[in-house]
Amino acid sequence: MQTGSAALQLLVAGIGTGSIYALIALGFNVVFKSTGAMNFAQGEWVVMGGMISALLFASFSNIGIACVAAVLIVMMVGILSERLVIWPLRRPNTLLITLVSIGLAIFTRSLVMMILGKKPVGYPAFSQTATLTVGGITIQTQTLWIIGLTLAFLVIMHFFFERSIIGKALRAAAADRDAAAIVGVKVETTVMLSFAIAAFAGALAGAIITPLTLSSYDQGAMFGFKGFSAAMLGGVGSLPGAVIGGLALGLLEAFGSFYISSDFKDAIAFAVLLLILFVRPSGFLGRADVVKV
Amino acid sequence: MNLGRRSFLQLIPGAALAASGARAGWAAGEPLRVGSILSVTGPAAFLGEDMKAGLQLAVEEINAAGGINGRKIAWTFYDAESQTQKALSATRRLISQDKVELILSGGNMSGIALAMAPMAEAAKIPFISSEGALAIVTPVAERKWVFKSTVDDEDVLERIADFLEKKKIKKVALLADSSGFGQGAVTQMKKVGPRRNLDVMYETFDPADTDMLPQLTRIRDGGAEAVICWTVTPAGVVFIKQAQQLGLDKKTLIHSYGFVSPHYMNLAGDAAKSILLASLKLPVGDQLPDRDPLKGEILKLFKNYQARFNRPASLYAAESYDAAMLAKEALIKVGGDVSKLPEGLEKIKKFAGTSGEFTFSPEKHSGLSKKDIVLINWRDGRFNLVDYD
Repeated sequence: MQTGSAALQLLVAGIGTGSIYALIALGFNVVFKSTGAMNFAQGEWVVMGGMISALLFASFSNIGIACVAAVLIVMMVGILSERLVIWPLRRPNTLLITLVSIGLAIFTRSLVMMILGKKPVGYPAFSQTATLTVGGITIQTQTLWIIGLTLAFLVIMHFFFERSIIGKALRAAAADRDAAAIVGVKVETTVMLSFAIAAFAGALAGAIITPLTLSSYDQGAMFGFKGFSAAMLGGVGSLPGAVIGGLALGLLEAFGSFYISSDFKDAIAFAVLLLILFVRPSGFLGRADVVKV
Repeated sequence: MNLGRRSFLQLIPGAALAASGARAGWAAGEPLRVGSILSVTGPAAFLGEDMKAGLQLAVEEINAAGGINGRKIAWTFYDAESQTQKALSATRRLISQDKVELILSGGNMSGIALAMAPMAEAAKIPFISSEGALAIVTPVAERKWVFKSTVDDEDVLERIADFLEKKKIKKVALLADSSGFGQGAVTQMKKVGPRRNLDVMYETFDPADTDMLPQLTRIRDGGAEAVICWTVTPAGVVFIKQAQQLGLDKKTLIHSYGFVSPHYMNLAGDAAKSILLASLKLPVGDQLPDRDPLKGEILKLFKNYQARFNRPASLYAAESYDAAMLAKEALIKVGGDVSKLPEGLEKIKKFAGTSGEFTFSPEKHSGLSKKDIVLINWRDGRFNLVDYD
């Protein structure tokens, strides 16, 4: 096998993994925009998306219905989480919300373990043919689904934020809560909405990756950690930043483990992450806060 | 039936040593206090539940047969929750509060058993571990009271080397996860590889990894003729699927005994056909030749376990079940004197359990050998024997 096609193989694998990281990072960014806080329950929603899809698939044996229903269920869980845990906070500040979200993550994980079980679960890929051979490399069709669905979701999100009234309201509330409130935006509703979008993105990531990697209740922390890193790398709060950060992390891992050593796969990715953050503390696309005194 | 036969045989050395037991002051009829620690919650829970069931069955069987030398077992169980700290405080409680005379199983994680071993040693409480790492029982000079009922990685790798030799394979890759289990195998392979003239390349993956294509591409380009994967985590399914994707399924793919689980095989789907597993004999118990000393024991365990828990017995259940049966065998050898249990265990030779044939000695506190490993595959929804010896 030539080095050229090995590199191509890694490129596809890296983009596939990177897409998943991008979806999770997007969830972090949306919640960050509306609350200024990091929501560490994000990774748990990924697991929930995968595990509920598997449960539904076992009952209905239709992957499409199972995944769509699972993603919608997790979105409801996201909304419920915000209403039950974030909304009642008397004086929400970023640190408090971040801390509460860690509690929410632990609670969600235990709930998933008790209700959905401890065993890893999975279901078949979306397409019948599992692999394609193109130009000397083999690609799993599921990887193409992952890349395609992520891309579609990102495009929809872009138009949602740029064009729709609700999207604009969300952005307005993120830019300045008080000003948005004055012009009639219900700021608290926008927080709930951001949790819904974040949960949706997380669950989508879980539903499309599970055919490749299986899903088990204890993977949430890893997904959360990777997504968080991708969000930091791309620039916290930036939608294109999530995509760039996610892809960069995915590719770094793939190429790092191939050309340097698989022993240090995560170490390489995070060393580069640190270096980039030294040079650009707000990530690729993040803007440093300008504070007027 | 089988149990009855064995009890009778054990009576002979038992009777000879009965006097010394009586002198040590144990009272017949007073219950034998046995403690166990397993993780039935947390990440290792899938092992812990079966191991707990295995112990439970063993204790019930022993008690139903009148106990050991007339003493029934009073069993205390604590959940370690897959956390070493929890396991250590439970060990302290077992020793100082519950005053157990014997500990069986150490948290079903090597890391936990490793931490418990010095505590048992210091308290001079016999501890039979059903966990894997060789370091639990070595160096023997510092582990006089600690034994284990599981197979050593070195033996498994030697057995795999035998198989590769048969297939005339020289160039292999070891793809191990970054946990203690995976890296332990790497350490052993660095000894076994050169000894068996194998050209080994090493790759690592994180148990949480969702993509192994980079490692597998390297293995493919490196020209390995066989790939050995060492993990107990779901990432092993990713290995099976992606190896097939890269066309590595035409090579010899071997999973270690840590991956022998019908659940994992079902998750791997069609790709599971492409792999072999280096396993203890239990999963193919019914296919063993009749001359195999383990066959009867395994079939008996299958029947009783199914009747008691309404699910098939797993390897993990067998390992803890054997730990209890070894304790019984050794206690009978020393006339029921728990303080002499290590001597009794060291006298055990060719004892047919359900996970293997145990032989201990003062130099070796790990009882199994490479003869207890067979190669199996997964066809028609069950494990099948491929390479017996």
